[in-house]
Amino acid sequence: MRIGVCIKQVPDTDSHLRIADSGRGVDDSNLNWVISSCDLCALEEALLLAEAEVARGAERPELVVFSLGPARVEEALRKALALGVDRALHLVDEALQGGDAIADGRALAAALAGERCDLVLTGAQSDDLGQAATPAVIAAILSCPYAWLVMAVELDSRSKSLRIVRELEGGMNEVLGLELPALLAIQAGINRPRFASLRGTLQARKKPLRREDCSGLGVDPGLVGAAGAGIEIEAVSLPPAGAGGVVIDGASAEAAAGELIAHLEREAVL
Amino acid sequence: MPAVWLVEDTRGGPGTQEVRACGRALGGNCRVALLEEERLGPYAPGLYAEALHALIAQGDGEDPERPIVVLLPHTYQSAEYAPRLAVRLGAAYIASVSGASLDDDGGLRFRRSIFQARLRADVRPKKRTVVATVQVGAFGGAGPAPSPHDVFEVGRPADIEEHQEREILGREAASGGGVDLASAERIVTAGRGVGGPDEVSVAADLAAALDAELGASRPVVDNGWLPREHQVGSSGHIVTPNLYVALGVSGSIQHLMGMSGSRIIVAINKDPEAPIFSVAHYGIVADLHDVAPALTRLLKARRQSA
Repeated sequence: MRIGVCIKQVPDTDSHLRIADSGRGVDDSNLNWVISSCDLCALEEALLLAEAEVARGAERPELVVFSLGPARVEEALRKALALGVDRALHLVDEALQGGDAIADGRALAAALAGERCDLVLTGAQSDDLGQAATPAVIAAILSCPYAWLVMAVELDSRSKSLRIVRELEGGMNEVLGLELPALLAIQAGINRPRFASLRGTLQARKKPLRREDCSGLGVDPGLVGAAGAGIEIEAVSLPPAGAGGVVIDGASAEAAAGELIAHLEREAVL
Repeated sequence: MPAVWLVEDTRGGPGTQEVRACGRALGGNCRVALLEEERLGPYAPGLYAEALHALIAQGDGEDPERPIVVLLPHTYQSAEYAPRLAVRLGAAYIASVSGASLDDDGGLRFRRSIFQARLRADVRPKKRTVVATVQVGAFGGAGPAPSPHDVFEVGRPADIEEHQEREILGREAASGGGVDLASAERIVTAGRGVGGPDEVSVAADLAAALDAELGASRPVVDNGWLPREHQVGSSGHIVTPNLYVALGVSGSIQHLMGMSGSRIIVAINKDPEAPIFSVAHYGIVADLHDVAPALTRLLKARRQSA
């Protein structure tokens, strides 16, 4: 049994984002890079599933982490190894840069197919571009059962099946049965990701991390990266500031609180 | 002008109006692909994507250079299969758009939020066919209802495997009850900015002083600081109280969808760039741990003197 996890390295959501001089993206010279939050939950879920298999006396599934991106992504892969994943595959090639969800999904699907994973987990949505599409693209290309916004996973490795809970709108959940191989896009909140131990961090240095380029993956460089992307960002801008709202000076908490109460009295909501 | 497909279901579910309004913004030459569960079978992402692909890819004998835009609502169902439809059509995919326009030279532009609504991007498709999901709640005003002869029923594809890709075992409420956010007149919501499980009390104290229900943003629930029944947002409760006070809530799109219909919105946040300020009627850029206790004290004093 092999479980693959796809992760994306993104700017820390608490980073101050500056629009790049080109106006087409974010200035990436001074950012703190982390594993996207849903992807961290996908990693944790894979670790929990492996532990549950061991706890019931089954063989521990092998866990493989995949990520596409430049050299900096190696740090995210080492972190996944430190958390307990067994080995890592880094999709790194100049021709893989600048892709959208479809181009990246194509490259990741090729890598996953090469590793013949029984179950693939990803995050439901990245914290940066947030198209929430890469997992569906991978599932379409691998043509395997798929579910998005997964809030609980039970794996039955004997019958090669899954029982999952998927989030719906308005506080409802749907319970689904899927057969392996399958791909699940994990929603934030399914678990609380662990922190890497010192021992894990030391072990991670010795775990295998393999780099693959387009030819190693067997993908056409014209169908991945910027060349394979179906969309192009033309301009990035700040959202409009307050929709005509009243800004209350926050320098003095007491004064601000008093001013707000006066406004709320006038609005007749107190 | 592009040929636009509006994907609708027979229930007229959420986002139908927004999808029509987006179609109108793109020239209004619209046809409807109507999804009927009785005809298609129970929803599964592969089935719906393949069925729509079969309808849309058959073409209509029109100009093969003419752009085609397929619009779906960005709901938990259609956003699950829309990327697969884009892959099958060889189309560009653009998720949760809040704006769309057509240049004088026929070029398509879509606007969407990125970096959790901290920035927005103008996106240009590089393919002739585009699949886009439309943010529910974006696009004010209703688009015209298409005339019946422009409605095409989506059929079950003949070559679809009978084998089910996934089986629906049931539905359940995501959380227990006990919190009545839906009918609350006032709500005070704790966001990630409150800092931790022991500091949620700053929001609870203000809620008590206002006689309000206590809400929570998604990160607060995901971190276990408050149970899920407190969650406000598209995946939790959609609320429309008279007064909504957001403490340390940054304001993800999902959160804004869940509360932006409130009558009076107050936001208190240290970060002046927090997207919550874009919907707030009253904003205070300050540490909530200073302002909220001050508010609680003044409200209590006000009540005693009344």
